[in-house]
Amino acid sequence: MMGAVKFSISEVMAPPGLISTEQGNMPMGPVQYDLRGEPTFEPMIQVDMEIKAFVSAWKHCDYVSTYMARMIGQNRSDSVRHSNLFSSAFNELLEVAFRTRLADGELACRVSRHGATDRIELTFPCLPGERQFYQEALSQVAGFEAKERYLNSVSGDLAPSREIVLLELAVDYNATLWVEEADGDAIKLVVDLPLEGL
Amino acid sequence: MGPYDLLPRFKAQYDANNQEFSLSGVVRPQAIDELGPSIALLRDAIGRVRGVLYVNVRRLTQMNSAAFHAFSRIIIDACRARPDLKFVVITSSVVGWTSRKFGRLSGIEPNITVEEYDSQFYPGQGFLEEGAFVPILRTQTKMTWRHERAILPRHGMRPGIVMADICCGIGDFAVLVQKEFQPSRIVALDHSMSSLSYARRVMKEFDIRGIEYTYGDASEMLLDEAQFDLVTCRHSLQIFNRPELILKELYRICKPGGRVYITNEKNSHCLGEPRAESIRWTYNEVAKLFRHFEMDVELGPKSRRYLVEAGFEDIHVESFMVTNLDGDPQDFADVIMAWADVYAGEMATRRGDGPEFIARFRQGFQDHIFAALHPKGYAGWPIWVASGQRPQ
Ligand SMILES: C[S@@+](CC[C@H](N)C(=O)[O-])C[C@H]1O[C@@H](n2cnc3c(N)ncnc32)[C@H](O)[C@@H]1O
Repeated sequence: MMGAVKFSISEVMAPPGLISTEQGNMPMGPVQYDLRGEPTFEPMIQVDMEIKAFVSAWKHCDYVSTYMARMIGQNRSDSVRHSNLFSSAFNELLEVAFRTRLADGELACRVSRHGATDRIELTFPCLPGERQFYQEALSQVAGFEAKERYLNSVSGDLAPSREIVLLELAVDYNATLWVEEADGDAIKLVVDLPLEGL
Repeated sequence: MGPYDLLPRFKAQYDANNQEFSLSGVVRPQAIDELGPSIALLRDAIGRVRGVLYVNVRRLTQMNSAAFHAFSRIIIDACRARPDLKFVVITSSVVGWTSRKFGRLSGIEPNITVEEYDSQFYPGQGFLEEGAFVPILRTQTKMTWRHERAILPRHGMRPGIVMADICCGIGDFAVLVQKEFQPSRIVALDHSMSSLSYARRVMKEFDIRGIEYTYGDASEMLLDEAQFDLVTCRHSLQIFNRPELILKELYRICKPGGRVYITNEKNSHCLGEPRAESIRWTYNEVAKLFRHFEMDVELGPKSRRYLVEAGFEDIHVESFMVTNLDGDPQDFADVIMAWADVYAGEMATRRGDGPEFIARFRQGFQDHIFAALHPKGYAGWPIWVASGQRPQ
C-alpha cells in the first residue's frame, strides 16, 4: 500500500476483532498509578519508520493517521466516531513532523491510553533550532489567550504555521501538549487527547 | 495496491438552484494550490449568489488545518467585502470535529452561522426515533427472530463473518445474531442516541462482547467501503422517503461478493380471523397514513426491484408470517396495541384526522388483537426478506 516504504508496527494490544472483548470497559476499568502518582498509560500501538521514507510522500500522513485511528478506535464506546476524531487530530501532528528540516533518523509514533484519554507520543528528528521553536510554541499554547490567538490566525492572512496547528489541537480537541527529551537530534511531542468527552 | 490509492479523495460542487457549495470526502492537501479548482469554484459561487450561500460540509469526513484555513479565509473575506451576504455552514453531528471547528467562524464574522443538519432526515423521524417505539421494537424482534434465525443462513449469515446492522435500533437483533451465529465482528449503527445508549447498557449488563455500536446517518456513513461480508437493514428502508439512497450506502460498505439483507413489511396484508373486514380496512389505512408522511410500509414486495436497481446480483426474496400461534399470543397482542397507540394516536392526530375516523381506525387494531387472543382465532403480520450479492 505504501509502495517501497518500510515501516514496522508493534501492536501492543490484541488485533481488531479480538479487541472488542474489552469494549466499553476501558474508561471505567481499574485505574493504575505508578510510584510517582502519575496515572499509567497502557501502551496500545506503535509505528516506526525512517523519516526519509516518511517524508517521501505527503499521503503517508493521511495513511498512518487513518491506519492508527482504525486500530485504536475499536474499543471505544463509539469506534467509528472515535477513529474519525483521532485521525483528524493525529494527522495534524504528522503533518507537523513531515515539515521537519532534518530528514535523517527515525519517526516513532506511539499511542497509549489511560481511561478516556489517548496519548500520542511522536518522536522525530529535528534541528536544535527547531526544538527550541517547539518548546516556545507549546508554552504559548498553554497560555490563557490561546483561543483568541487561534481565532486571529483563522482571520489572518497566512497559511497556518506549525505553531497554529498545535494551538488548534488545544482549542478544538481540548488537547494538552508538551515536549519531552529525546535522544540525539530529535524531539518528542506528547499530546493527550480526551476525545471521549468531545 | 490498497483501496487508498483508488479512492477519490474529495469533491467540491456548486448547486446554483439551492445556492449551495458543498465539500465532501477527505481534504488533506500538502499545498494550497492543490485546492485551486475548488477554491475557484467557491469564489465563483460567492460572486453569483444573492442573500445566502449555503456551505454544505455534511459529508466532509476529514480536512486538514491548511485546507480549513484556506476555505475559511475566503468566506471571511467575502463577509467583509459583501456585508449583504450571509453564509450558512451546514455540518453533521455525526462527524465530531466539524461543528466545533466551523463553529468558530461564527465567532469571527456574525454573518456566518453554523447549523447541524441532521435533526430531520425524513418526515416521520419524530415519532419513530425517540422513546415511543422502543417497547414495540423489542417484542417485534422477539417475534421475527423465531423465523429469521432459520432464514438468515440462506442469505449469507455464518460464523466468523464481519457484519453490520444498519438502523439497528435498540440492538436486540445484533445481540441475538451474536449469540446464535458468532460473527467475528458486528458494527451496529443507528441515528437515535437514546436507542444506542439503551443498546450499550444492555451490552454491559449482560456482558455481551463483539458488538460495536455507533452513532451515524445511514444515508451518509463514516464506515469504510467494502468491509462487511453481510450488511443487514431491517424494517428500515421503508421509513425513508428515498430508500435507494440508503441502499447505495449499504452496497458501498458491503464487500464485493458479500450480501445485503433487508426486511420490510406490506402493512395492508396484515390479517386476522374473525373480524377480517375491519382488520383489512384498518391496515389499508395504515399504509395510507404512512404514505402521508412519505414512508412506504408497503415496500416488502418491492424489495426485489430496489435490489436490482441498486446493482445487486443473485437476489433471493422470501416472506414469512408472524402469527399469534408462534409463541405467546399476548406478545402479538402487545405489538398491535403499541402500533395502535402510535398510529391512531400521535400520527393520526398529526395528520389532522377527526374523532370518527380515529375510532374506526382503532377498532381494526382492537379486532386484530381480538383475533390474536381468540381461542379459535388467527392473526398474522407478513414480512418480506430479501438479499442480494454485491458483484465481485
Ligand atoms: C423501524 S426502526 C427499526 C429498528 C430495528 N432495525 C428493528 O428492526 O427493530 C427504524 C430505525 O431507524 C433509525 N433511523 C432513522 N433514521 C436513521 C438514519 N438516518 N440513520 C440511521 N438510523 C436511522 C431509527 O432510529 C430506528 O431505530
